[in-house]
Amino acid sequence: MANFIRFMGIRAILAVVTLLIVSFIVFSLMEFVPGDCAERYLAYKNTQGQSLTMEDIDAERARLGLDQPFIYRWVTWVSGAFVGEFGDSCILRVSISQLLGSKFLISAGICFAALLVAYLVAIPVGIYAAASRNPVVNNILRFVSYLGLALPNFLLALIIMLIATVYFGDSMSGLFSKEFRDAPWSMAKFLDFLSRAWMPIFILGWSATAFALQTVRALMLDEQSKLYVTAARARGLYGRQLLWRYPARHALGPIVNSLGFDLNRIFNELPIVAVILTLTEAGALLLEALARSNDQQLAGAIIFLLTATIVGLNFITDIALALLDPRMRNSVMGGRG
Amino acid sequence: MQTVTQKSKEAYFTASQGQLIWSRFRKQKAAMIAGFILVTLILLGVFADFVGPYNPTISGANKDYTNGAPQMPMFCDHNGCSARPFIYGVKRERSFATNFRWVSTIDTEDRRYVQWFVKGDDYKWFGVTFNRHLFGVEGGTIHLFGTDDTGKDIFSRTLHAIKTSLAVGTMGVVISFVLALVIGGIAGYYGGVIDGVLQMITDAIRTVPAIPLFMALAAFVPDTWSAEMRFFFISIILGLIGWPTLARRVRTHLLVERTQDYVLAAQLSGAGSGHIIRRHLLPSFTSYIIVDLVISFPYMVLSETALSFIGLGLKDPVTSLGVLLQNTTNADVLLNYQWYFIPVLFFVALVMAFVFVGDGLRDAADPYSEAKK
Repeated sequence: MANFIRFMGIRAILAVVTLLIVSFIVFSLMEFVPGDCAERYLAYKNTQGQSLTMEDIDAERARLGLDQPFIYRWVTWVSGAFVGEFGDSCILRVSISQLLGSKFLISAGICFAALLVAYLVAIPVGIYAAASRNPVVNNILRFVSYLGLALPNFLLALIIMLIATVYFGDSMSGLFSKEFRDAPWSMAKFLDFLSRAWMPIFILGWSATAFALQTVRALMLDEQSKLYVTAARARGLYGRQLLWRYPARHALGPIVNSLGFDLNRIFNELPIVAVILTLTEAGALLLEALARSNDQQLAGAIIFLLTATIVGLNFITDIALALLDPRMRNSVMGGRG
Repeated sequence: MQTVTQKSKEAYFTASQGQLIWSRFRKQKAAMIAGFILVTLILLGVFADFVGPYNPTISGANKDYTNGAPQMPMFCDHNGCSARPFIYGVKRERSFATNFRWVSTIDTEDRRYVQWFVKGDDYKWFGVTFNRHLFGVEGGTIHLFGTDDTGKDIFSRTLHAIKTSLAVGTMGVVISFVLALVIGGIAGYYGGVIDGVLQMITDAIRTVPAIPLFMALAAFVPDTWSAEMRFFFISIILGLIGWPTLARRVRTHLLVERTQDYVLAAQLSGAGSGHIIRRHLLPSFTSYIIVDLVISFPYMVLSETALSFIGLGLKDPVTSLGVLLQNTTNADVLLNYQWYFIPVLFFVALVMAFVFVGDGLRDAADPYSEAKK
């Protein structure tokens, strides 16, 4: 048990170090961007009819702490970020955690749901495809999984959207119907949400499914040609019993490990799909923060949160794998750490 | 008979790496078809100026045929057949009968024959100006894929879009390849602590969702930048997206190959390290690298398209696939101007072709692929 705790500790430290590196990169990139928060805010004020001088900008800079050295500001930002406090948005002047709030949770929920759907489809189908000697089945599946790449989510979203608009008259966009958009959470609102959320979940899950399908199939094919499968077959095991008992369990490890990268892929697609479907969640907010107002504070916060989610998932899958996989369990518990 | 098999065996054992890969690649039907399509698309893109009858920018627009339907050349109609394909002329008029709106009508009596190598808009190749185009019609215009709302020829635009997207992708691949070679090479060559640290940084970067991050950067491109500057900037961004995955592969290749038995055998035979690197390591390596580059290419094209699609990438007057896809984002297009979607098909075909060829190459480059089956 002590070993397991140590293993968890090392993984946790690694995760935190990863996040630190990421935060440093994100923070530096946001620094490189021409113009800082003070200038941007005051330029915005300028457009509202107030005239401002250089002194005002310098005063604003001092107030925001932008005159401090780079490393100092990074440390402040990071220590805030780890407790979910990202300071104020550059232009809107509202606390970012308030601005993001439930929006981030909703989008993360949608992404996880998409991931879940992807694997619920991919694991049985992938195992079946790998076991099947039928060339037609295999070729169709190959074609479909390539199509997942060649017909990216945003194209799929676009096509579905257009068809829905033209033939059903309802744009299907947005996560809530009009009457619920600003209402507080209730059972009715939740049901309304579910009735609309399946669309983004399906669209985001589409390429993820295609990729997962390929991963599962390739892993199963690799495992099936191994000697232990032949040995099991020689003992008289066959069919589903054989598949689930041996190769599927072996393939589980790499599949669990690939979850983090699949989530990464879904996050990549999120902003674009969100724009097309006009969802009001983190992805679209990011685009708005960037394209319309150049709000680097908000953008940095969103990217940090997305990465933190992936790092968190990777941490959880590592731990889960250590518990699930007997080989890993032994090496973790068995003293070598 | 004996000699024939002997000969083919000899040919097999003395074949170069390239010949072996090619002979394995040729056996895969899907990859060969995809390869054929890919080469066709690339050639169409490279010779876009020549094959496309009109200039893809606003200067080549046909103001008398805006939002015009595709004109497919045909051989036969009610007036009989002709060996030379033709299209119908279009009349544009507005009168009391049309409620004073511009209305285009097709005049089926007015045949316009397709001509080869016609003179048209000027274009430049290596500093020399040409004006010959592969085809055109006499006394009028031909728009195979129709025109958009300003009268730009969608066929010409599609070809130029393929060219731009391929160029951006190539630049991106080259940049990420150089980065990957340097970083992965250092990690794989030195190993140990340096490898550990570099791996940690690479992995950290790999966890950042690339598109949101680079959206953030692309959004700060000032509007005053010229089309060329944007083009280079987007290519650099794409290169930065791609390198971690490639670097990891380079490192793994290096680490694996360095300890292979054949390297040891060569060393024992007294080969110098220069000879080993040149004659053994590099050939074993290049095929994998080429495969990796081909595989990462569609992701570049996809990323460019995605960035341009949301308006953060390339913009008019540059014509890229993403820019063309952006034009399809309204319901009017689906209802009335379906030909706007033709570039989408080219995009899907291009990405699919790349993926199939990449997969075929990967199988062909793997010397153990035959042993596995």
